[in-house]
Amino acid sequence: MNNISFGQYYPANSLIHSLDARFKVICAFLYIVCSFLCKNILSFAALLASAALLVAISGIPPKILLKSLRPIIFILLFTVVINMFWTSGENLVFSWWKIRIYYEGIMNALFIAVRIVVLIVGTSIFLTYTTTPIALTDALESLLSPLKVLRAPVHEFAMMITIALRFIPTLTEETNRIMAAQKARGADFTTGSIFKRARALIPILVPLFVSAFRRADELATAMECRCYHGGEGRTRLNIPHSRPRDYVMLLLIVAFGAGLILINIYGIGYTMK
Amino acid sequence: MAKIRLEKVNYTYSAGTPFETRALRDVEFEIKEGLVTGIIGHTGSGKSTMMMLLNGLEKPESGRVLLDGADIWEKPKEISKVRFRVGLVMQYPEYQLFEETVAKDIAFGPKNMGLTEDEISARVREAAGIVGLDAGLLEKSPFELSGGEKRRAAIAGIIAMKPEVLVLDEPAAGLDPAGRERILGTIQNFRAQTGATVIIVSHSMEDMAEVCDEIVVLLEGRILMSGSTREIFSRADELRRVGLDVPEITGLMLRLRDMGAEIDSIPFTVKDALPKLMKLLK
Repeated sequence: MNNISFGQYYPANSLIHSLDARFKVICAFLYIVCSFLCKNILSFAALLASAALLVAISGIPPKILLKSLRPIIFILLFTVVINMFWTSGENLVFSWWKIRIYYEGIMNALFIAVRIVVLIVGTSIFLTYTTTPIALTDALESLLSPLKVLRAPVHEFAMMITIALRFIPTLTEETNRIMAAQKARGADFTTGSIFKRARALIPILVPLFVSAFRRADELATAMECRCYHGGEGRTRLNIPHSRPRDYVMLLLIVAFGAGLILINIYGIGYTMK
Repeated sequence: MAKIRLEKVNYTYSAGTPFETRALRDVEFEIKEGLVTGIIGHTGSGKSTMMMLLNGLEKPESGRVLLDGADIWEKPKEISKVRFRVGLVMQYPEYQLFEETVAKDIAFGPKNMGLTEDEISARVREAAGIVGLDAGLLEKSPFELSGGEKRRAAIAGIIAMKPEVLVLDEPAAGLDPAGRERILGTIQNFRAQTGATVIIVSHSMEDMAEVCDEIVVLLEGRILMSGSTREIFSRADELRRVGLDVPEITGLMLRLRDMGAEIDSIPFTVKDALPKLMKLLK
């Protein structure tokens, strides 16, 4: 239970940290598009280089970034294996029994691995590592605000996410406290059959739910005491400002995408289908 | 004779990360058998960590915790036996109630000890008696009780395990004066009936003065001083220097003495102070 990490925001003072969160959301989206524009070895090399550049200017230690890749290692291996063995092409590199590996398969596997890694690294650089969860939900609210015309409860949705994020560490701490208290009464969560272990969770879950409802109730009262009445006519403490650097970053990414398309047209070497 | 001994105990949170904090440093002291020992200190002085070490909820990084002379971590698999012998009542224990009825909740600990049904129900009744819960409340849902009753029901859940040592973290926090009175009464009742060793952590010097025989003062993970309640509270200047205090009545009596009033020994409870004040007024 102790390893529930809350967000991954890494405080630092980099150019990317200072960008407007709304632009970062758009940049992340465009960067994903860019990674799908890559078709040949030259464009993938450019993509990899751009990711390295992003890491360098974000000021986030590569060691921490590698940690964020750990959960996807299986997906990565799986796609690599699938692409390697199930792509048929013209240049047979290796064959044994029923297994045939083609040059195209190796290249495809390599490209897709690079694409997945860059996807994760790129989005985590733009979003999770350099943007606080609160700034992120604010940005989402702002970007989704056109939907208000369609009467979508955008503000309420953003408020829900903010509150949920806010309570993750609180409830984690609460869980640890309750677990300690029940352990002090001899509760055992680690031995016995699955059924027994599931039953052993009752003494944790009941108090946890009781306390979550109590907290929700108290929070609702506290919000009402401060005249919260939803998003209608609500002003902000932190009004987001776009600065020239935000537009520069956006332009750079668009230019990068255009560059990738050009590389594809005058591409050299193997082209992924 | 020492019931619990801490030997060169060190404890660090989040070791090896930027958030590393040393909660306890080379802590060495004894809790005497059959006495009520109070632990005082600021938030973050290591009090709560120490309580978790006493019943094996946390394991010291180095050093040993001895219960009746035996290291509690000698057989890590049998640590739950230690938890039955050293009962821990955490802060706001009413938040751990979960069963359908108060009786079932009190029975949770004894059940985990593997006792027989008869023994369990006898212990539930006995524990409810010690904390002063009416038999009528036992079949109610714990969520229907008042705040003070919930607190006492939760304490009964620990007492029903018949611990040799009862550890309580801020047992009276957040209760009204009557509730606080009853909790302190419960603790004294428990000690009188069982002769067990009691350890209390509290911010309230008044509570400490009322129930403790011995006091340990923690400062930034180290033991600043320890001794009898009288000894500790007579060192008011030292306590104040580190931002702690003596009971208000003691502070008042000390000021009166500084102003020239003749007071032979400084009292720590209002009850003891009353005759002395009356004498001064004559």
